[in-house]
Amino acid sequence: MLNGIPLHWFLLVAAALFCLGLFGALARKNAIAVLMGVELMLNAVNINLLAFWRYVNPAGTGGLAFTAFVFIVAAAEAAVGLALIISVYRNTQSIDPEKLDQMKL
Amino acid sequence: MEVSQIVFLILTVTLLGAAALVVTTKNLFHAALYLIVSFFSVAGMYVLLEAGFFAAAQLLVYIGAISILFIFAVMLTRGTALITPLNSQAGAVGVMSAIMFAILAVFLWPAPIRLQEVILGGFRLLRGGTYGGEPWQFVPNNADTAAVVNNATLRLGAALGDFAQYGALLLLSGALLLVGVIGSIWVARERKIADTRADRSEAAADARHEAQLESEAEAREAAALPAGAHAASVEGQH
Repeated sequence: MLNGIPLHWFLLVAAALFCLGLFGALARKNAIAVLMGVELMLNAVNINLLAFWRYVNPAGTGGLAFTAFVFIVAAAEAAVGLALIISVYRNTQSIDPEKLDQMKL
Repeated sequence: MEVSQIVFLILTVTLLGAAALVVTTKNLFHAALYLIVSFFSVAGMYVLLEAGFFAAAQLLVYIGAISILFIFAVMLTRGTALITPLNSQAGAVGVMSAIMFAILAVFLWPAPIRLQEVILGGFRLLRGGTYGGEPWQFVPNNADTAAVVNNATLRLGAALGDFAQYGALLLLSGALLLVGVIGSIWVARERKIADTRADRSEAAADARHEAQLESEAEAREAAALPAGAHAASVEGQH
């Protein structure tokens, strides 16, 4: 399955995905879209972890275990983040991160 | 060109195209659907990397659970889906992301350019070391590696259940998920009385209105009663 694909192809795709996710997390005007960008970045990290596991150390389990923990943390993060966004929307009728400045000094 | 390479390139095009649409589409519901497409492409990448367990987990966790959460959140925050997609710092952020990708690409690119070796070798020379870095030690693509990769899920399960390796971390992450889910239910619960901002200001306005009505009624009562009767009633109260 892996014949003919060099490691740096995976790394380049993951880097491009991470940069797209970073752009989404910093440049979107909607808190839900910001969370989508974060999810894209987490997926890029997972691709990197599994690629290094497969090419460098397939006999170990470090890359696999780390990917599993990233999955778990990503699920918890999405649940808490979306609950916060829904709560903010109930209170202010807006989910624009720039308008959420009630806690500013 | 081999089949696996063609599959990889198709997955790359769908992944990066869908991701670019996720971060630029105006309609947030469409962005959530493109997010599902990019999750699917990442699952294909995991299949190419021979990590079948994680391809299945990607389908179950990301496409089955997280995407649905996103779609629900989009539906529950209706009326905000069609505001302008990008904020004022989008241009600067785009340039910064492009520069960051260019730097990563220079350092990840293989043989023909070797720019990263020039830069890193220069750093090493400056710090008194030798020119040239240590390459990654790839495993050979033979039958032994295939056997090791094929029972990877078995070994992962053993490692996650073994308290000498990741057992405690697995329990901790289970606790993290439980606390996260309970906390998100608590945060997103329906507030009944005077708990949200709008409710509080409404309740305060009601209270002010009632107080005003009361004081007006008292004033009217006082005006209607003759002065002596009023004094008598006050004395009678004492």
